[in-house]
Amino acid sequence: MARISAGVATSHVPLLGVAVDQGKTRDAYFGPIFAGYDWTKRWEAEQKPDVIVLVYNDHASAFDANIIPTFAIGTGEHFKPADEGWGPRAVPDVSGHPDLAWHIAQSLILDDFDMTIINQMDVDHGLTVPLSMMFGTPAAWPAKVIPLAVNVVTYPVPSGNRCWMLGEAIRRAVESFPEDLNVQIWGTGGMSHQLQGQRAGLINAEWDNRFMDSLIGDSDAARRIPHIEYLRETGSEGIEMVMWLIMRGALGERTRLLHRHYHVPCSNTAIGHLVLEPD
Amino acid sequence: MSDKADIQDYLAAFDDIPGTRIYTAKRARQGYHLNQFAMSLMKAENREAWKADEKAYLERWPMSEAQKQAVLARDYSLLLDLGGNIYFLAKVFSTDGLSFVQAVSTMTGMTVEEYQAMMNAGGRSPKGVRSIKDVY
Repeated sequence: MARISAGVATSHVPLLGVAVDQGKTRDAYFGPIFAGYDWTKRWEAEQKPDVIVLVYNDHASAFDANIIPTFAIGTGEHFKPADEGWGPRAVPDVSGHPDLAWHIAQSLILDDFDMTIINQMDVDHGLTVPLSMMFGTPAAWPAKVIPLAVNVVTYPVPSGNRCWMLGEAIRRAVESFPEDLNVQIWGTGGMSHQLQGQRAGLINAEWDNRFMDSLIGDSDAARRIPHIEYLRETGSEGIEMVMWLIMRGALGERTRLLHRHYHVPCSNTAIGHLVLEPD
Repeated sequence: MSDKADIQDYLAAFDDIPGTRIYTAKRARQGYHLNQFAMSLMKAENREAWKADEKAYLERWPMSEAQKQAVLARDYSLLLDLGGNIYFLAKVFSTDGLSFVQAVSTMTGMTVEEYQAMMNAGGRSPKGVRSIKDVY
């Protein structure tokens, strides 16, 4: 049977992709950020996940203002890197896992999650930057990826509790897939950042670290954090952290911390990174 | 588990955050064509047409005159007020060759250098800018 073996959380700042693509990952600015991912790169090379359910948000790339799915799952064979206004990133195409993706989609719908199903879409920095952070610059990505896009742009975005419940349902779906697969779930985005208005540049390291603490062990307090708290405390784009709760919900009642990293700043954003496993 | 919020209270709280415009349905409706214009710049051929004649390119979109003027002026604060969303507007400043830091800093009343220095020193503290009403 397929199983969720671990969860990874990470920020997905576009500038990290630029640093990778331009070979600047060990310079004075980016070095301390990327050093926090060295452990994970080694760990991923040992773990060799077959499939990653990669929870991210589309930044007006695959979805425009016309169609706004709250939860969308990519069921295609391949996903190309999106052209976000400066040409697509020169990274490998992403290979999907249509069998598992369709299985998860069907299971989630029967489990009361009304998913939007996407056969063809380009994937932006929200998805490709985490792959670069965890796998570096391989000729082909070493795992299949099932994109799971969450609307965190147009309000209301899904509640933290709903995200957590979706994670729980994804776990049930994966565990009912008959093939023996090592599946990881990644929650991306955050941590504190605000990209707009006079308050732009807001960073709240204390809150971010409390949030990371709350995902380790058996607490489920984070699922009850209201949107307004993310917005006041961590900036308008800090709301992306609800996507970490999908990852957390998929890991079951208790988690064990394998690795943790936090750094300010990267561009406008606080970088946070966790590796957890079900305990 | 559900603690369903009243939609009016939920939305009203957003207006209590200083210097912040949450992208609500109201803004999404007001900014629909503005954001779709910005989205069109994801295609290389559209970027070329836009760069060749910005005013003519804007005529393709049923945007308000105020929105068009704000785009031409790259007034991102005003564009947010007119329904623009930062991830859509990013296509405009990316086409101009600006980074997020460069574009975002224009909304803060700081120079790019001052803004970058603030970020490198740990970013803007949330102290005093969490709430207009309660100032904490």
